[in-house]
Amino acid sequence: MLPLLALVLVLAWLAPWSPPPAPRAQGVEVFLNVTGGGTKKLNIAIPEFALLGGTDSQGTAKLLASVAGKDLTFSGLFSVVAATGSIPPNDAAALKEAWAAFAAAGAHAGVHGLLALRGEQLEVEMRLYDLTSPEHRLIAARKFRGTLAQARRVAHRIADEIVLQFTGEPGVADTKIAYVLGPRGAKELYVADYDGAGAAPVTRNGSINLSPVWSPDARSLAFTSFVQGYPDLYRVFPFERRPLQTLAAFAGINSAPAWSPDGRSLAMTLSKDGNPEIYVLNVATGALRRLTRHAGIDTDPTWSPTGRQIAFVSDRTGAPHVFVMDTDGANVRQLTAGGFQTQARWSPKGDTIVYTQRQAGHQLWAVNPDGSSPRQLTFGPGSAQSASWAPDGRHLAFQSNRLGRSQIFAMLLDGTPPTQVTSGGGEATSPSWSPRLP
Amino acid sequence: MAAPTPAPTPAAPRPTPARPSPKEFVAIADLKDIYFDFDKYDIRPGDAKTLDANAAWFKSHADYLALIEGHADERGTNEYNLALGERRAKSAMNYLVSQGVQASRITIISYGEERPQCTEKNEGCWSKNRRAHFLVKPR
Repeated sequence: MLPLLALVLVLAWLAPWSPPPAPRAQGVEVFLNVTGGGTKKLNIAIPEFALLGGTDSQGTAKLLASVAGKDLTFSGLFSVVAATGSIPPNDAAALKEAWAAFAAAGAHAGVHGLLALRGEQLEVEMRLYDLTSPEHRLIAARKFRGTLAQARRVAHRIADEIVLQFTGEPGVADTKIAYVLGPRGAKELYVADYDGAGAAPVTRNGSINLSPVWSPDARSLAFTSFVQGYPDLYRVFPFERRPLQTLAAFAGINSAPAWSPDGRSLAMTLSKDGNPEIYVLNVATGALRRLTRHAGIDTDPTWSPTGRQIAFVSDRTGAPHVFVMDTDGANVRQLTAGGFQTQARWSPKGDTIVYTQRQAGHQLWAVNPDGSSPRQLTFGPGSAQSASWAPDGRHLAFQSNRLGRSQIFAMLLDGTPPTQVTSGGGEATSPSWSPRLP
Repeated sequence: MAAPTPAPTPAAPRPTPARPSPKEFVAIADLKDIYFDFDKYDIRPGDAKTLDANAAWFKSHADYLALIEGHADERGTNEYNLALGERRAKSAMNYLVSQGVQASRITIISYGEERPQCTEKNEGCWSKNRRAHFLVKPR
């Protein structure tokens, strides 16, 4: 079981530090055109947090600024302005002077972080300032509580809150990535923070475990495992003391799980009726509905975010290509042609389907759900496959052997060079990016 | 924040037919593997002779059950390769059945690309991994 203790987002104003000036009742629209423009980034200063009380023996004040800064850089929306030291608390003159200096250095926004430590508990306040206004307007102030061991998660939530303030949608730093780790023959499921920190095993059965996918509530993973000898589908709850649940163990393959957006159903590939076909399982009742009826291979289902359509992979026209159908199996149409395409994954925003194209190994491509504008997303070095969307629909995790062994990487869709998520031994494959954590 | 209450444990569908454990089956020298072209699961003409011999063995050893493993090389992707391995095992099974081996004696399993016989990254190696493998156990 992995630790996922609840963090507290404190909206009410509490002692011990003095309140900041009341925010004006004006929005942050001034920045929306900046962040919406694509390549132009907002320059943000996030100095080391100021210590209000307690002894910072573990360097938490520095860690919070560093982790949140990396998250903001990763978001692709911000450029973090270099800063050393912290801005003292409860010193309006020092704050004004610091923000004036950062504004002169090109910063558009500044984060004043305040940290109070009491034993193993930490309390953090994030105050976000607009440095483009002469009075350095306060945009938002939020408090977070947790334990020292949760410091990285607190930093992720601060970064996600800052992204929310500027875009209207939270960032994706407070998420997890599940993946498969191992040599062939013994592959276990692991879960790490989205940036690769805190990796820990979820299965330890010594078998072959494959294709993890997060449920929409971010509490469980569906996956394929040979733990009972055959490729069956299971569900594991990484953060809870709950037994492994068997989802499907029919004769033949039970594979390629895909949660419906409402979390009630699971699309999957079963071959119990003769050859690999797509089915939808009602997880609560066990009712099974067959969607495809074709002599070829049908697999890799993925739901549209509306839950009304399913994209999948079929070799019915020869090699495997991406198709789309309604969730009752009707209106099948082919999206890709030529070559060899598998692993269709529908964006949570609905506008894009990514897939794996066999080409110099494998590369990731994207296509619109109407089949228009197929476009290549990765260009090597090495292969890229098994894409998984972040909940913002702007980032993808994938596996690549560009550094030799397969590792998990994450990237923006805009062509920004990928960042490495996993870096340990073994082969890391098949990432699944979690929804935002509750 | 209070700990979330566990969701009710759903009723998983319970398949009825008992499956023999794959670990109970062993490979024997009399039964040869067959091989497949890339992304194909039809029986190659040259492999039909191998299957005829395998079918003859099963017909003369009626007290043995068969497990046919389907395998794929690493050039597809995980989930597709599981389906491809399944189709390869099924093609081999269908051939044996067409030669008079009872379908009820045969179990199939796909390992996709997970259990390669050869791990180098070249066609010589990949071609060895696109196979159906035959194992037996006494009834």
